Amino acid sequence: MLVLILRRLAYAAPIALGVSLVCFSLVYLAPGDPLQAVMPADVTPDMVEMIRHEYGFDKPIPVQYALWLWRAVQGDFGLSIGSRRPVIVDVLGSLQNTLLLTSFAVPIAFVIGYTLGAIAGCFPGRWLDRTVTGFAVMGVSVPNYWLGIVMVIAFAVELSWLPATGMGPRGSDAFSIFSLGDLRYLVMPVFTLSMVPVGIIARSTRAAVAEIRGQDFVITLRAKGLSETAVIRHVLKNALPQVLAVMGLQFGYLMGGSILIETVFTWPGSGFLLAKAIINRDIPVLQGAILLLSLVFVATNLVVDLLQSAIDPRIRRA
Amino acid sequence: MAHTLAVTTPTDLEPDVLPANVVRGYWQSVAYRLRHDPVTLFFGMVILLIILAAIFAPWIAPYDPYKESVIARLKPFGWRGHLIGTDELGRDLLTRIIYGGRISLFMGLAPVAVATVVGGALGILAGFGGRRVNTVIMRTMDVFYAFPSVLLAVAISGAMGGGIANGMIALSMVFTPALCRISETATAQVRNLDFIEAARASGAGTFTILRFHVLGNVLGPIFIYASSLVSVSILLASGLSFLGLGVKPPEPDWGLMLSTLRQSIYVNPWICAMPGAAIFITSICFNLVSDGIRAAMDVRM
Amino acid sequence: MMQIAPSVSNPRRLLRHLLSACALVGLSLSQAQAGGVLTVAMTAGDIPVTTGTPDQGFEGFRFVGWSLYDALVGWDLSKADKPSDIIPGLATSWSIDPNDHKRWIFKLRQGVKFHDGCAFSADDVVWNYARMTDNKAPQFFAQQFALNRGYMTNVANIEKVDDFTVAITTKFVESLFPYTMSYIPMVSRCRAEELKFDWNAFAMHPSGTGPYRFDRMIPRERLELVPNKDYWNPARVPHQDRMILIPMPEAATRVAALLSGQVNFVEAPPPDTIARLKSAGMQIVTNVYPHNWPFTLNFVKGPFTDVRVRQAANYALNRADFVELLGGLATEEYAQVPPFMPYYGKPVRYEFNTKKATELLKAAKCYPCEITLAISTSGSGQMQPLPMNDLLKSQLEEAGFKVNFKVMDWNAMLEIARGGVDKFPDIDGYNGSRALVDPVIAVIKPVAKAYWSPAGANWGHFYNAEIEKLVADIFTEFDDAKRMALLTKLHEAENEQAIMIFVVHDVNPRAISPHVKGFVQSQHWFQDMTPISVE
Repeated sequence: MLVLILRRLAYAAPIALGVSLVCFSLVYLAPGDPLQAVMPADVTPDMVEMIRHEYGFDKPIPVQYALWLWRAVQGDFGLSIGSRRPVIVDVLGSLQNTLLLTSFAVPIAFVIGYTLGAIAGCFPGRWLDRTVTGFAVMGVSVPNYWLGIVMVIAFAVELSWLPATGMGPRGSDAFSIFSLGDLRYLVMPVFTLSMVPVGIIARSTRAAVAEIRGQDFVITLRAKGLSETAVIRHVLKNALPQVLAVMGLQFGYLMGGSILIETVFTWPGSGFLLAKAIINRDIPVLQGAILLLSLVFVATNLVVDLLQSAIDPRIRRA
Repeated sequence: MAHTLAVTTPTDLEPDVLPANVVRGYWQSVAYRLRHDPVTLFFGMVILLIILAAIFAPWIAPYDPYKESVIARLKPFGWRGHLIGTDELGRDLLTRIIYGGRISLFMGLAPVAVATVVGGALGILAGFGGRRVNTVIMRTMDVFYAFPSVLLAVAISGAMGGGIANGMIALSMVFTPALCRISETATAQVRNLDFIEAARASGAGTFTILRFHVLGNVLGPIFIYASSLVSVSILLASGLSFLGLGVKPPEPDWGLMLSTLRQSIYVNPWICAMPGAAIFITSICFNLVSDGIRAAMDVRM
Repeated sequence: MMQIAPSVSNPRRLLRHLLSACALVGLSLSQAQAGGVLTVAMTAGDIPVTTGTPDQGFEGFRFVGWSLYDALVGWDLSKADKPSDIIPGLATSWSIDPNDHKRWIFKLRQGVKFHDGCAFSADDVVWNYARMTDNKAPQFFAQQFALNRGYMTNVANIEKVDDFTVAITTKFVESLFPYTMSYIPMVSRCRAEELKFDWNAFAMHPSGTGPYRFDRMIPRERLELVPNKDYWNPARVPHQDRMILIPMPEAATRVAALLSGQVNFVEAPPPDTIARLKSAGMQIVTNVYPHNWPFTLNFVKGPFTDVRVRQAANYALNRADFVELLGGLATEEYAQVPPFMPYYGKPVRYEFNTKKATELLKAAKCYPCEITLAISTSGSGQMQPLPMNDLLKSQLEEAGFKVNFKVMDWNAMLEIARGGVDKFPDIDGYNGSRALVDPVIAVIKPVAKAYWSPAGANWGHFYNAEIEKLVADIFTEFDDAKRMALLTKLHEAENEQAIMIFVVHDVNPRAISPHVKGFVQSQHWFQDMTPISVE
């Protein structure tokens, strides 16, 4: 197992390096001057040069990359051009808020998706299956930010049941998951964010259950005279590792993909930070946020991979 | 009992359901199964209608998509011949949605097509080329695969400054790695099969082998996967437009219309729901058709 | 005298900080007229910087700059029915040196204390100047340099005369110079030294002389301010207990937040939401203010070099349609500044007349007249740029123009504005809203040669000998009445030249909960938040 972990780590390391290179070079594809967002409208060119030097934008690009990477490894992503705060502080702070959102959305999506998928998989072709499958397709087809907008109008503006935006009356610092009042702020973002994973998990569960039901050992179990409930229990247990792996990947996707939902609900997470960094052309924040989010994704994949190998020895190839 | 009564769904037809007396090739059997799958056929027709409407928009659309009128803003369904009302600039909403299908469908299909060609070719190259070629291509793909798709799309088009072209590049880059992987796997499986050996022994050149044997066996899985990406692409593209990274106004595009109509929701919520509904319906259709194609081609992903 | 110690490293200090903040809240609760928490949804994408001169445009000054800080020169924001002008701030008076018209003497206010308890004096003014300009000084801060430089074009030096007098030397004679000193906030030297010039720490523990003290900030999310009970102007001690500032760039989100009761003061609600807001009992306040939405033109190349084409464009617009499009939240714009400004005069009025516009185009031999205009998709003060520009295009084309738009985001637009006509010669005009805060910005910078881009704000390199002479006369005229007459003449001359395509003036809409009392909306970009209380 240790060998396996090391092997997977050795595989992930160059990918992480490649990711960092992409993050760094990506922002130099950008047209326009990253410095201009902090400049007043009638500034002269020599002042631009002076500020460029002050911010370190005047060095050759490979040198900038090497310096940037070396500092990034030490947790220093530089300062935000807009706010002059250390990027790492902003990114880690907002990452926590996204993590909160995801930690609610993914388990909820799993419970709903697995239940629905199991029901559909056990009754293939019946109206129940079609209803569930239809619901799952809707889940993956709906533009979730649009759903969010509609829900804000319905539940916050018209009915006043839920807050429309933000993370509580005192902001994210004071947010507590043990406060019922604060949890109300989670309801709509979590619901909309879990739409896609519910659909995906339900579909994978249905497929896994349907596949396992056709396998030899199930036929054997039945032949042995096991009750249908017991057979289904066996089938569901066997489908679990596959579905858990899908769930793990969804976790990584949501961490990086909550940008639209966070924008609709002004949720102070990493996606919202990223959206602002793009609008303000705040290059260091853009680099830092994308790098950390993709590293989270790489790490999630690694963990899912290892867990799956631990649960299911058949996967322990290579 | 469930298992004894299990009736397969139309999208789940097993090969043995085919009439035994009909002998046919693989593609013919796929076509046969598709023809007998009412769900896929129905939603396929809907897609065809949407595509035709988009192509023939200038002939079908009742009004000029750019002609605005300050006094006719945000009017309700059926107001003075505007079937589903008017938008925030008094333009006919139905016309805008028909025209909007052009860009939205293009943004759904084009990046997938580009990624299919590029990713497919790279995958075949990686699968058929030497070890070094394989490593270079596949490790590069792994790097791009290491980004969550939304993040990569937002990052690339955000860095390059938005717009249709940049959005297309971004989405193509999002889809290429996955298609490349599938293509590489399929190629590697095919590569060592007997008939390739046979072809090689019979003196066929690498190019001929690639063209006739590898391509034929790799296309199936790629096509199925690509078909499932179209709806993802439409949703991602509309998301980019919503964030201001996609199409620039006054071009009609569903995601952008959703974004610009957002403030008008207090005047006429139904009008504002229409572009979202267009995205939703199109996306559902593509998803269901993709499921149908997958079942018909009987390939498990 | 209550002191709030900066609490960076010492937890006991932090506790004291918190206790004194609580004490402040308690204190204000005991006052009869005071009360309530004012929660403001700003249009800014982030909290404006708290280290002195704010970013995020004039909204940053409005809510953060002039809450935490004061400048030597202040603005009279107390009246809703007359234009605001400068008044004494941290300086009680100023005058020109009779022997040297490039030297200004500012007398400073005595007895003013920073939030940290340190007294304000001439040394602080000199120190703050170095903070923004002298990169060898320990207090130099590049960000503040960048944010300030545009305002300091004409400052050559600041020196101390005595403890409460400073002399400011300008690069050229400018009779309107005092306006410049109304944009430069004074921050506490004591606090900066205590924090060893760590400006990130300062941002979380800012200290100024303003009517509000910093209480807490969650970066990007909210800034909470509490009243400064020791403010040097007792009339402007805030009446509310606390002001919370939340950045909410999405207009739809701001409206939803107000309607669901999460905030009670919203900047710039979109026109389409006004009816719904009113039906929910919200107050919609508007006022005229010097904010216009024009096209700045290219005088080097292209059709607009001909004054007849410029006039044609102005005749082609039916401005009433724009006001209608904006649900009445705008006024028609026929000149650089709105009619209530003291130097408005009697400018030529380009009333909607498509026929006349077409004749002018034909006379100028530009028919159809193809033009390329840069417009932005959003941005500070840009109002509703896309629908408005769509309307503009259709009206211009009615008269015989052929309009090509280059649509871009706000930052790309700023780049065009900053780069100037030399860098973007193929753009015939760009649509950047203008904050006409003082006469120099409003009517001098767009036309004087000294401000040719990229060094200044005369983007299209306008030049006209007569106008140049007028500007020179204004800068050397130190008699207020005579200068006003000259400014009026300049304003009229600019209209004759049709130096821009005038479209509409914004009226600065705000939506306010019925529980918010006492807000007086001044005719200005800056607003006084201190009289507000919340039931």
